[in-house]
Amino acid sequence: MRPCDVAPPRVVAVDEHVIEVRGLVKRYPDITAVDGIDFDVSRGQVFSLLGPNGAGKTTTVEILEGLRDPTAGEARVLGQDVRSGYRRIRERVGVLPQDFEPFDRLRPREAVTYWARLFDHDVSEEAVASIIETVGLSNRADTFALNLSGGEKRRLGIAMALVGQPDLLFLDEPTTGLDPGARRELWTLIGDLKRKGRTILLTTHYLDEAEQLADDVAIMNHGKIVAHGSPSALISQFGGGTTIVLAGAGRGGSEALMARGIAAELHGADLFVHVPMAGQVRPMLAKLASIEIPLSEIYTKRSTLEDVFLKLVGARMEEGVLAA
Amino acid sequence: MKRILADVTAFGRQYLRSRVGTFFALAFPVILILLFGAIFSSSGTPRVSLAVQDMDRTDASRGFVQALNNTTLISYQAIPPTASFQEYMRANAINVALQIPTGFQATIVRAEMGNASARVNVTLAGDPTQSSFGIAYSAVAAVANAFNLKIANATGVVSVGETPFTVQQFGYIDFFLPGIIGFTILTTPMFGMTSICAEYRTRRFFKLLATTKLSKAEWLAAKVVFYVLLLFLSVAIMMLVGIGVFGMKARLTPVAVLLIIAGAFEFTSLGMVLGIFVRDPGTGEALANAIGFPMMFLAGSFFPIDSMPSFLQTIARALPLTYINEGLRATMVLANDGTAVTYLLVTLGFAVVFFVVGARGLSWKSK
Repeated sequence: MRPCDVAPPRVVAVDEHVIEVRGLVKRYPDITAVDGIDFDVSRGQVFSLLGPNGAGKTTTVEILEGLRDPTAGEARVLGQDVRSGYRRIRERVGVLPQDFEPFDRLRPREAVTYWARLFDHDVSEEAVASIIETVGLSNRADTFALNLSGGEKRRLGIAMALVGQPDLLFLDEPTTGLDPGARRELWTLIGDLKRKGRTILLTTHYLDEAEQLADDVAIMNHGKIVAHGSPSALISQFGGGTTIVLAGAGRGGSEALMARGIAAELHGADLFVHVPMAGQVRPMLAKLASIEIPLSEIYTKRSTLEDVFLKLVGARMEEGVLAA
Repeated sequence: MKRILADVTAFGRQYLRSRVGTFFALAFPVILILLFGAIFSSSGTPRVSLAVQDMDRTDASRGFVQALNNTTLISYQAIPPTASFQEYMRANAINVALQIPTGFQATIVRAEMGNASARVNVTLAGDPTQSSFGIAYSAVAAVANAFNLKIANATGVVSVGETPFTVQQFGYIDFFLPGIIGFTILTTPMFGMTSICAEYRTRRFFKLLATTKLSKAEWLAAKVVFYVLLLFLSVAIMMLVGIGVFGMKARLTPVAVLLIIAGAFEFTSLGMVLGIFVRDPGTGEALANAIGFPMMFLAGSFFPIDSMPSFLQTIARALPLTYINEGLRATMVLANDGTAVTYLLVTLGFAVVFFVVGARGLSWKSK
């Protein structure tokens, strides 16, 4: 048993893989939810599993949490095999499950104390207050969870996941269903945890969330990882460089560019000109300026994970659902 | 142990903050005690309202009615002799009525004169399934028998005297209380646990708990501890009401205390067994009702098992609640601790089986 607020430091190699996954498969009679995936998560990293609903993200996370048994493959968390060592794993991880709901008639202060005791941690009032302060719920610490907002409930979930100073945090779609303001606030909180050196496995279907928070992203679709790397590496590999947008140029502009041998895509009334290499942006801008095209505005747009996703999966994603 | 206490504390806080839970655990049994106590405890024997149509209007027929009144079982009301007997009953919503025919006194006189073939029938009308009909029938038959003895100039040879079967002079409420305690032991933990399992599954609390060090057996043990405490609170309130309002004499014995603990253990565990099959609150409620309601009536909470048909008695003997009800009555009313201990052991046997099945069968993990 150890006090929550004076957890002993753990000696871990800087490059230690906190999670190692090799050939992981989870098969059901009617579907293969996880289809032979491999990835590693290093200590201190925010690793994001990104993909639409049904891609296999939550199944993967629940296997790593010891809540589901894999069909095949290997998965190790904090050096422990998920099949045989899940009791030891759960002592060292914090979990915010998908669609987390708190116990309605417990106050955040009581819920955090309760949760700490379920991990055999003796928590002082100060330690509980400190955890609640970390997630920004100090002024709501004595409000029944029933009366918290959606964002506050997720913060409470993160507070419960933080009891006992876990070596690894699993945050399964922490911002799904929240309004934009609450999502931003949670991003700030997760960013703070990242700066404090927490290792976090984050699943999300929000591309901007992964781009904003993750050091490493694995894009999942149909149970497979279709791309894996840092957001910037993925963008430079698959994002297609920079896009020059000729707002309002329309079909007339498109024909004028085609006459000069410049490829462009028409999106509504706007023309998109893709420039793969950063060094080609200035010359292309100069070239476009020399062509008489009626337009309302011209600007450049750096590729995002959205472009990467579109290219790799072949569809855009809206609220976790692939758009045709 | 610390994890169990932490869960008891957190669960208890939530439970007692829920008005519905508190009502059913604490207030509802008290309402039952007050209700049934008021119905049956105000007098030693129930009094039935009997409407009588005296078509004869003679000294003999008035004497018959007077004799009925003297039984103290009957509260008399008259039906006019000119009214249609059946129509009057229907129009005035009368449950039990007696008709004394014309010629009642004349027939008696003929019998007293030695006419061996003289016969007269009084007619009792009503719903034979109602207990009030049975009481009225007994009273009328007793009075008719007394008349026959008098006509025959005979006297009763065999009579019935009353000797209390129990150690003290108990009232109806004392016999009723063990049944209500049994009813509470059944409903509070079992209905509660079934609904908790449904809620924990739909709201993914089980998954959340599965990420902690709390085991299923510890979680279930925490619920048992909580329901034992809650039931003692509930029984204490019931006893205070019974003693304060109805002068109840039955007291909790050490064996009764053990039976309450074993019963809480048993029905909390049974609730978790049912929770294995529950997917949402709707099915949870339906399943608990399907198991709980027949059991509370068949296991002798409200009616004596001996009054049931033999096949129902066989079923009752297979129900776990029967042994709690009978055990509590044995120790609290009949001072028969030997029988109560036997029933306590049966209850513990059921409890252990349910606990093991519940703890092993309920899955917190996903497939």
